[in-house]
Amino acid sequence: MQKTSEDDTKHPTFRGVRMRSWGKWVSEIREPRKKSRIWLETYPTAEMAARAHDVGALAIKGCSAYLNFPELAKELPLPASMSPKEIQAATSRAAASTRIINSSFNTEMLSCQWTGGIEAIVARLELPSRLSWFLGRFLALYSMAKDPVRVLVTGAAGQIGYALVPMIARGVMLGPDQPVILHMLDIEPAAEALTGVRMELVDAAFPLLRDVVVTTDVTVACKGVNIAVMVGGFPRKEGMERKDVMSKNVSIYKAQASALEKQAAPDCKVLVVANPANTNALILKEFAPSIPEKNITCLTRLDHNRALGQLSERLKIHVSEVKNVIIWGNHSSTQYPDVNHATVTPANGEEKPVRSVVADDNWLNTEFITMVQQRGAAIIKARKLSSALSAASAACDHIRDWVVGTPKGTWVSMGVYSDGSYGIQPGVIYSYPVTCDKGQWSIVQGLKIDDFSRQKMDATAKELVEEKTLAYSCLN
Amino acid sequence: MAKEPVRVLVTGAAGQIGYALVPMIARGIMLGADQPVILHMLDIPPAAEALNGVKMELVDAAFPLLKGVVATTDVVEACTGVNVAVMVGGFPRKEGMERKDVMSKNVSIYKSQASALEQHAAPNCKVLVVANPANTNALILKEFAPSIPAKNITCLTRLDHNRALGQISERLNVQVSDVKNVIIWGNHSSTQYPDVNHATVGDKPVRELVKDDEWLNGEFITTVQQRGAAIIKARKLSSALSAASAACDHIRDWVLGTPEGTWVSMGVYSDGSYDAPAGVIYSFPVTCKNGEWTIVQGLAIDEFSRKKLELTGAELTEEKELAYSCLS
Repeated sequence: MQKTSEDDTKHPTFRGVRMRSWGKWVSEIREPRKKSRIWLETYPTAEMAARAHDVGALAIKGCSAYLNFPELAKELPLPASMSPKEIQAATSRAAASTRIINSSFNTEMLSCQWTGGIEAIVARLELPSRLSWFLGRFLALYSMAKDPVRVLVTGAAGQIGYALVPMIARGVMLGPDQPVILHMLDIEPAAEALTGVRMELVDAAFPLLRDVVVTTDVTVACKGVNIAVMVGGFPRKEGMERKDVMSKNVSIYKAQASALEKQAAPDCKVLVVANPANTNALILKEFAPSIPEKNITCLTRLDHNRALGQLSERLKIHVSEVKNVIIWGNHSSTQYPDVNHATVTPANGEEKPVRSVVADDNWLNTEFITMVQQRGAAIIKARKLSSALSAASAACDHIRDWVVGTPKGTWVSMGVYSDGSYGIQPGVIYSYPVTCDKGQWSIVQGLKIDDFSRQKMDATAKELVEEKTLAYSCLN
Repeated sequence: MAKEPVRVLVTGAAGQIGYALVPMIARGIMLGADQPVILHMLDIPPAAEALNGVKMELVDAAFPLLKGVVATTDVVEACTGVNVAVMVGGFPRKEGMERKDVMSKNVSIYKSQASALEQHAAPNCKVLVVANPANTNALILKEFAPSIPAKNITCLTRLDHNRALGQISERLNVQVSDVKNVIIWGNHSSTQYPDVNHATVGDKPVRELVKDDEWLNGEFITTVQQRGAAIIKARKLSSALSAASAACDHIRDWVLGTPEGTWVSMGVYSDGSYDAPAGVIYSFPVTCKNGEWTIVQGLAIDEFSRKKLELTGAELTEEKELAYSCLS
């Protein structure tokens, strides 16, 4: 699962326990008959990690396991066999007990009858990561809760932040069983409002929200964060073009890049929302060279969702029946909403291409495109405020699919660092169709691009190159 | 997605609380992750364009659970067929305003909406009044919608309940989900009584763990009572996020049931339990099962609490008189 960092230190007395440089304890088990180690969950204390090691050791090595707490062994809930069902049953028993020391136990469970079966079952497991996944889940529930994930929201006192933080706190972003710690950053003039948001988060008594860090100091805000949603920036107002706001934002993103790079957790996933999103993300990437470029993305999921919504309205079907639109390029008025590979699948029906179901290429090539491109302005016109609700929701979708994975047969749109795919110049943040698996996105390759699309894709790429030039000129 | 969609009305949907609330409803926070919903959104004509903007955003969010959106300024269209009605619409409290200041503006709103709900909502529609003065608005609604069962008309004190849990969790430095069974008695106003005498963390009484009766009987109470004003002072706006979240909690527990051993606070039509005045909407500790709430009976009420319960009961009786005088 996770790689050893050179900064890890072995615990002086507990076997199988290491401390990460940021202060968490991770437990590790050696695979049977191999030198390699299986990394399991991380824990807030060494003692919990040590107990987790014991559970794993008993599961793998049975009676011959070396235990950190041999006197507690009889109290550990153990599976009767290594079958997934038994592991889950034991997991539930572990979760049901409030304190391991006081838990009732079934001494018959601690029998070595199942030891013989373990190695056969382990050998059947194809990959070490599967074993570690099962043990990880088992041990996560054994330790009563998943480790909380730290999520940073910048500009948290603003409109999008206010819509976003309750979504995060309710598990919309990472799942209903994933505790979170919110980090909220804003500028000094918004400090009191930010405190007000923190007060409301306390007042909402969210079960998943383990803690809230509220600050105007970017170093404090970035410390240990696993996910960073960069909403902070200069908001677009009625009449403003995106380029108008660029110069104000470029220096913000240069400064924040530095703090993120130094303070965030390894493998921190970054989503830039503030416009100009693609170029802000590029600046962030350029000035945070030790953050892997694949971890820096920008939000075009809003446009993707808007495209799905427009199609569903046109066809008078539910939005969940449409999929695989693509947003190519810049989150701006040059974005290209492409339906050439999109499909409609009615309930109990056959999957059909959107183009044939809509049966109106003229609309799809003109009005549909401009509606999606200009939707942000239309919302501002109606509400007199930017689209906070839908942007926050899209940010949750973007992170969730990135972390948890996209459903089979479905892709989404993300602004990612271009590698030259589809003839797009490398070195900009360009929105592509991607699938996500195991916390990584991959561009969907091999899609046919017709001439009409080619022009649109190139036009938005050109704008991104211009924005990049403009951004750099702002920095000089 | 096999379940039939539930129609949820939000009045005042173009405002702050509505804007926080509708995405929560559309994500299944109010009724569960497997319950499709159809949103009915009502607001006044001056807010029609903004309301349409909210509808546009709901379409733009591509929510899997959201099966339809009705955005209207017509109260009849808004109420037609609704199973759950969250009445947020009203005159919002601003910095410096007392709740009584807004009452007269709201009473006539609730009289006319009562009529529309009674005639057009689905049978057994569950009503939650949020707009302040919440208890008295709910009472007016009940009085002018006589065919809606009184037990179906409630007001929101879950926000105060959650605020009380939050204050205890901060004081004890424990997770808020470990604190339970506070009670908010009475009016959703500065006379509410946040009572911890039966509250626990794990199996230990809160009073024993806090070990500071002076704080629990003093500052804790006033902090919870005045929290709304504190939020307005910090944000310069009313507490939309936490109010919307509490509204979801209120409906969810009502519809899906409270967890075993746990009660919540709801403003409900008083039957005189605990010697509260009958015939007002009074916040009690309740458990919920099979879509019905039941007042938790038999809790010991000490002298200190008795006075507080009476005080807030007296205020509700006054508000009722004031409301009726506004209508004459």
